[in-house]
Amino acid sequence: MTSKDIAAEIRAYVVAEYLAGEDASDLTGDYALIDNGVIDSLGLIRLISHLTETYQVSFDDIEFGPDNFRSLDAIVELVKTNSAATTAA
Amino acid sequence: MPSPCLADAVAVHGVHRPHRTALVFNDRTVTYGELIELTQDYRGRLIELELPAGSTVCVPAHKSPETIALLLAAFHEGLVVLAPAPDLGAAALARLSQQARATHVLTATDVLTAEPVEGDETAAAGFSKADPKRTCLLLTTSGSTGTPKIVPIAATGFDAFAAWATAEFALSADDVALSYAPLNFDLALLDIWTFLQLGAQVVLVDQGKATDGAYVHAQVADHDVTFVQGVPMLYRLLTEAGTTFPSVREVIFTGDSVPAALLEPVSVDFPKARFHNIFGCTETNDSFIYEVDPAKLNGKMPIGRPIAGTDALVSEAGELLVATPFQTDGYLNSTLNADTFTVIDGRTFYRTGDLVTRDDDGLYSLQGRADWQVKVRGVRTNLQEVEQVISAHPEVLEAVVVPLPDEQAGVRLHAHVSRHPSSTLTSLRLRSHAGEHLPRHAIPTSVHITDVPLPRTSTGKPDRNLIKSNRLKEILT
Repeated sequence: MTSKDIAAEIRAYVVAEYLAGEDASDLTGDYALIDNGVIDSLGLIRLISHLTETYQVSFDDIEFGPDNFRSLDAIVELVKTNSAATTAA
Repeated sequence: MPSPCLADAVAVHGVHRPHRTALVFNDRTVTYGELIELTQDYRGRLIELELPAGSTVCVPAHKSPETIALLLAAFHEGLVVLAPAPDLGAAALARLSQQARATHVLTATDVLTAEPVEGDETAAAGFSKADPKRTCLLLTTSGSTGTPKIVPIAATGFDAFAAWATAEFALSADDVALSYAPLNFDLALLDIWTFLQLGAQVVLVDQGKATDGAYVHAQVADHDVTFVQGVPMLYRLLTEAGTTFPSVREVIFTGDSVPAALLEPVSVDFPKARFHNIFGCTETNDSFIYEVDPAKLNGKMPIGRPIAGTDALVSEAGELLVATPFQTDGYLNSTLNADTFTVIDGRTFYRTGDLVTRDDDGLYSLQGRADWQVKVRGVRTNLQEVEQVISAHPEVLEAVVVPLPDEQAGVRLHAHVSRHPSSTLTSLRLRSHAGEHLPRHAIPTSVHITDVPLPRTSTGKPDRNLIKSNRLKEILT
């Protein structure tokens, strides 16, 4: 998977999961997902489980906090740096 | 904290039992000796600020050993600490600081930073200056407005509360508390401050990991916790694994009504524990207690009986009024006090806004709210206030916020918003606006923006019930 594919997949997941039925055309890479309540603490658990399954990111080994998930850009960066499935991309 | 006695007691533990553990935070252990050392460092920094005696400072309540040491340092220095939620928006934090006439916003990490607050007498109009002789801690109600109500915690009230809790739960220096709630909640008066006063140990749950079941489970299991206090969601997380916690001898339910389905797993997983439901709020601290026998309880859990020294009254409309030995002297915004506090037979009662019934045995049960309050993830949230914040966006014509049932959160909020005809407002931009003025739990989980006028009842008001049932139908299909 290229990083562009990853960004597109994660964006699609966030839109489908947390913004269902809403106009997400202005969802930019730096939009504050956590500060603005799109992803709450329970939603974060679902997101982590999705990323774990899709990208084989092992969150057990990473020192992570809500800041790592603050925006789409941050999430993509986290996945790119830590995913077993994208090391060649 | 809430009292000079507490700061002194902790200092004495630092001398007499310096190697005993005071705080556990993630992989860190902080002994009483280290806590006192940290506190002394911060005292030095506070003295350098040359604040007038009895000044108020604002310390966003990041849950960490550093923040706890900073609060202790401030109490030693005779300062009053305003301790709001750490995730409060910048605009709301600034306004709150101005209202309380705080001189600085202080943050403690490796170093202590002090940002001066620009005073604003217009913002502070109607607010009293906190009296350092009567209080050293200002908490805010967990209400949802951009500017929560500021509640001075009475120093003598805290001392009375710590004495009550110590006796009621037979607490000693050998106990270990799990502190699950945020540091700015009144629950910390028991599971952090009372325990530190006793020289006992406190395991701080990192707020960033509070919904991570495996992490929370490990905090209880790995540190031989004896005392657990929390909202029902905590117990759902702890019982997920189906393992037992034999070290726990006291389990406190609080903050929200306990679902019946949770009782059996809880009674199995805490085989050595006594169970209590505690009812209270920031204004009065705890007022009702009920010892629960999970095996025998059928149906809804009552809030029980008034705790020693508390008087309870039920108004004609069914609203609960309480007077506790622990309660505040009144909101800092004194204009709110006449509506909320009322003197009956010489004692000041707080109107809880909760509707209750009392059975023949004298047990009280909650029946709902007299106002617009709901609980989102255990946090009291006023729907009307959320609506007001959303409606204040210049492109919003009208907004309605309804609570939807949610298996995990208890309740989540849905906003139905009509925008101005020429507006291109999106739900994301509206969330940014909400994020600036509301704490996170009060930002609606879903936002529907429409150009169609809101549906109306026959009296011309927005039809909240129809909006709610339409949304529920939409989710189910």
